[in-house]
Amino acid sequence: MPAASVCRTCSRRLGTQWRRAYSSQPQPDIYDVVCVGGGPAGLSLLTALRANPVTAGLRIALVEAQDLSKTRSWKLPPDRYSNRCSSLTPSSAQFLDKIGAWGHLQRQRIQPYHEMQVWDGVTDARIEFDWENGARSGNTIAYMTENLNLTSGLLSRLDQLQGNTIFESARVENITFGEETEELDLSQWPVVHLSGGKQLAARLLVGADGANSPVRAFAGIESRGWDYQRHGVVATLELEGDGWGGENTKIAYQRFLPTGPVAMLPMPGKYSTLVWSTTPSNATLLKSLPAKDFIALVNAAFRLNTVDLEFMHTMSSGQEDELLWRLQHTTFNNQAVPQTVVGVQEGSVASFPLKLRHADTYIGERVALVGDAAHTVHPLAGQGLNQGQGDVESLAKAIEFSVTHGQDLGTRMSLEAYNSERYAANHVLLGVVDKLHKLYSVESGPLVPLRSFGLNAVNAMRPLKNFFMDQAAGKGMKLF
Amino acid sequence: MTPRPNAAPQLLRRLRGANPAVALHSRGLRPTASAPAPDAPRRIAPRVLQPLPSRSFTSSPDSASSSPASSASSSASPSSSADATFTTVSPDEVSHFNALASSWWDPHGPSRILHLMNPLRHDFIRSCRSSVLDATPPSTSGLTYLDIGCGGGIFAESAARLPGTKHVKAIDPTPGVLAVAKAHARRDPGVQGKLEYLNTSIEKLPVPEAPENKFDVVSVFEVLEHVSNPAEFLDRCTPFVRPGGWLVMSTIARTWMSWFTTNLMAEDVLRIVPRGTHDWNKYVNEDELRGHFLGKRTGWTDARCMGVIYVPGIGWREVQGSEKVGNYFFAVRRAA
Repeated sequence: MPAASVCRTCSRRLGTQWRRAYSSQPQPDIYDVVCVGGGPAGLSLLTALRANPVTAGLRIALVEAQDLSKTRSWKLPPDRYSNRCSSLTPSSAQFLDKIGAWGHLQRQRIQPYHEMQVWDGVTDARIEFDWENGARSGNTIAYMTENLNLTSGLLSRLDQLQGNTIFESARVENITFGEETEELDLSQWPVVHLSGGKQLAARLLVGADGANSPVRAFAGIESRGWDYQRHGVVATLELEGDGWGGENTKIAYQRFLPTGPVAMLPMPGKYSTLVWSTTPSNATLLKSLPAKDFIALVNAAFRLNTVDLEFMHTMSSGQEDELLWRLQHTTFNNQAVPQTVVGVQEGSVASFPLKLRHADTYIGERVALVGDAAHTVHPLAGQGLNQGQGDVESLAKAIEFSVTHGQDLGTRMSLEAYNSERYAANHVLLGVVDKLHKLYSVESGPLVPLRSFGLNAVNAMRPLKNFFMDQAAGKGMKLF
Repeated sequence: MTPRPNAAPQLLRRLRGANPAVALHSRGLRPTASAPAPDAPRRIAPRVLQPLPSRSFTSSPDSASSSPASSASSSASPSSSADATFTTVSPDEVSHFNALASSWWDPHGPSRILHLMNPLRHDFIRSCRSSVLDATPPSTSGLTYLDIGCGGGIFAESAARLPGTKHVKAIDPTPGVLAVAKAHARRDPGVQGKLEYLNTSIEKLPVPEAPENKFDVVSVFEVLEHVSNPAEFLDRCTPFVRPGGWLVMSTIARTWMSWFTTNLMAEDVLRIVPRGTHDWNKYVNEDELRGHFLGKRTGWTDARCMGVIYVPGIGWREVQGSEKVGNYFFAVRRAA
C-alpha cells in the first residue's frame, strides 16, 4: 500500500491556499522528510525510503551542497583507485543489496578480503583472523570499496527509482521554524532555507551533513569528544603482486605502532589502499616526500622495529637507501607482512585529522542525525561508514513503522526506537576503538606485555577468535 | 443490582476535578507524597476487603449516577438518540480528563502509556479486518472511522494519517481534551480534510440512515471502563457500524491482577498513569463482552480479542490469554 502522509494533491491544494492568503512572502514546500547531506548516509537513506513500497509515497527531499553530476558520471581506469576507501561489512553490503543499490556499484572495483593480520609493533604479538576452512566466498570479512563507487552506485539506483527531489549545488543558508497560519500550525516544523530562496518545511529533518552538521547545531544537540592529535594518511599503493594469498584470498594488514596503527587494505589486482594514523608532523613529512622515499617509509612501517622507524622519520630525504640498508639487519617473516610496495598513485597521498565525536542524542523533535553528524570514530576498525549504514537502516525501519501505524514520523516518540537502537551500539564501538587506540599508544611499561599476552591468548582460542570475526563481519549476535 | 461497595469513592471522584494532585500531574509534575493523601484509603482499604462484584451489563452499579433511562437498557434494541437527556457520560470523568488535557500530547507526560499502546490498536484492527473474507469491501477511496471518546486524538489522528483512510470522525464529551485534539491536528498538514472533531457524546450524534454513511470501523478505546453503563453505551454505538464493519474496543479485565497493576502499581506506586484515571469497579471482562454481543444482542459475528501487557522499559506486548487478567482489545463484526 503506498503511503502518502502528505499526499501530493493535498499539499498542492494547501500550497495554493497559502499563496492566496500570503501572496507577498514565499511559503515553504511541505515534505515528510528533508535530508541534508548527499554523502553515503544521506543517499542510502533516500534510497532505502524510496525503494520500500511502504515509504515510497512519502514526500522526500535531499539537499546537497556539491554538484552531484560529477559523482554520477564518476569513472576511473582499472589501474587507478580513489584514495578514500571504506571497508563495508557483509551486513552493510546486505543492506545495500536490500535497497537495490549493491548491483549498481562497479563490482570489479570492489575487493572482498578473507583474512586479517593484526600485530603489535612493539612486541610482534600477532593475531591472525582467518576462517578455519580457508577462504570461501561466504566467509568474506569485508568488502573494500571506494566511497565514490558507493555514492555513484546509490545515485544510479536513485535514478532508476525516478521521481526524486534532489536539490544539488544548494547551500543551506538557514534553518528556522515554520509559521502559524489560520489553517496550519507549522511553528514546530523545521524549515530549511536554501540559497536562491527556496524553503522546505520538514515533518522530519535528517542531518546527514557530516561532522560539522548544521542540522545538529539547529537542534541544539551537543557533540562531545576529543581530537587524537593524529592524522590519517591515505594513499593508493601498487604492490609487487596480487598478495600472498593470490587473487582469491585477499588479506588485510594492520600493525599497531606507538604513533598509531598503520593499515594496508587490499584493492583489486596489485593495488592496496593505505590508512596510516600518525602524528601531524609525521603526516606532513609523508606528504612532502618524493614517491620513492614515501614508498620506503610505508614498507618500513610494516617491517622495521619501532626505533628504526622513528629514526627514518627524522630524515628529510634518503629513506629509500636507508631502508635497503636496515632491512639487511632486520629479521621478519616476509609472508607475514604485506608484499612490497613498488608504487604510489600520483596525487593520492592525503591526510585528515582524526577525532572522536559523539552527539548527546541522535534525535530531537522533528530532527534525526545519521552518520558522521551523529558520531566520528577512529578509523582503526574501519567501522565509520558501516555505523552510518546501520543508522540509516534503523531510521528507515522506524519511519516505516510510523507510516504503517499512522504515527507522525517526525515526532520524538516515533524516533525513540531509532535512538535507543543505535546510540548504545555506536557508543560501545566508539569506546572500544578509542581504548584500542590508547592501549597501543603505550611503548613501554606493564601494559605492553599484558596487551601482547591478551592478543596471543585470543589468537590461541578459536571460539573467541571466531566471535570477534563474526562481530567484525557484522554476523552472529549483534553487539555493535 | 449489585450494591455499590462504598459510597465514599464516588464522592471523592466527583471532587477530583479540583484535586491538586491531579492538577499537578497534568503539568507533568509528580505530586508530593502528602498531596494525594485523601485518595489512599479509597484505593487500598475498601477494595481489598470487598468480594469481586459480578458486573452486570443491565444493572450497572453506577446507574445511580446516570439518568433513569439506563434502567430501560435491558431491552435488546438500542435507545433512540432522540432521548437527548440520557447520557452514559459520567460528569466526574469529564472533569478528570479536562484536568489532564494540557499534557495529553507530551510524550513523556502522563499519557505516555496511551501513546505507546496506539500502534497495537492498528495492528489489532488490521488483524481483525484481514481475518475475514470481506463480502462487501469498503469503497476504494478508503476506510471511514468513528472514534468515540477520542480524548486528545491519539488514535483519531493516527487513523487519519494512515494511507488507507478516507475519513475519521472523532467525538468526545470533554471540551478541554477536544480543544487539545483540534489544536494538535492543526500541526499536521497530512490530516487536514481527513479528520473531523466534534465535542459531543454518542447519544447526541445523529445516527446515519444510509448504510454507506455508516462507518467501517467504530472504535471505543479505553472508554468502557469510564462510562456509567457499558451495555447501554455499546447499544448506542451499534447503529453507527456499517454492515460488515467492525466495532473495536479496548478495556481492562476486572481481576485482582488488574486492580494490582492498573490501580495500585500504575497509579499509586509507579505513577505511570495519572491518579484517579481508573475506577476498578467499572472494568469489564472479556467474557462479559463476548456474552453481550453474541448472546444478549443479535446481528454480531466474528468476535476477536487480543490481550496485551505493559512491561515498563519495554512497552506493550501481545500476550496470549492475558485478556483474562488485564488490558485487552475486543472487536466484533456487524453481520453483513
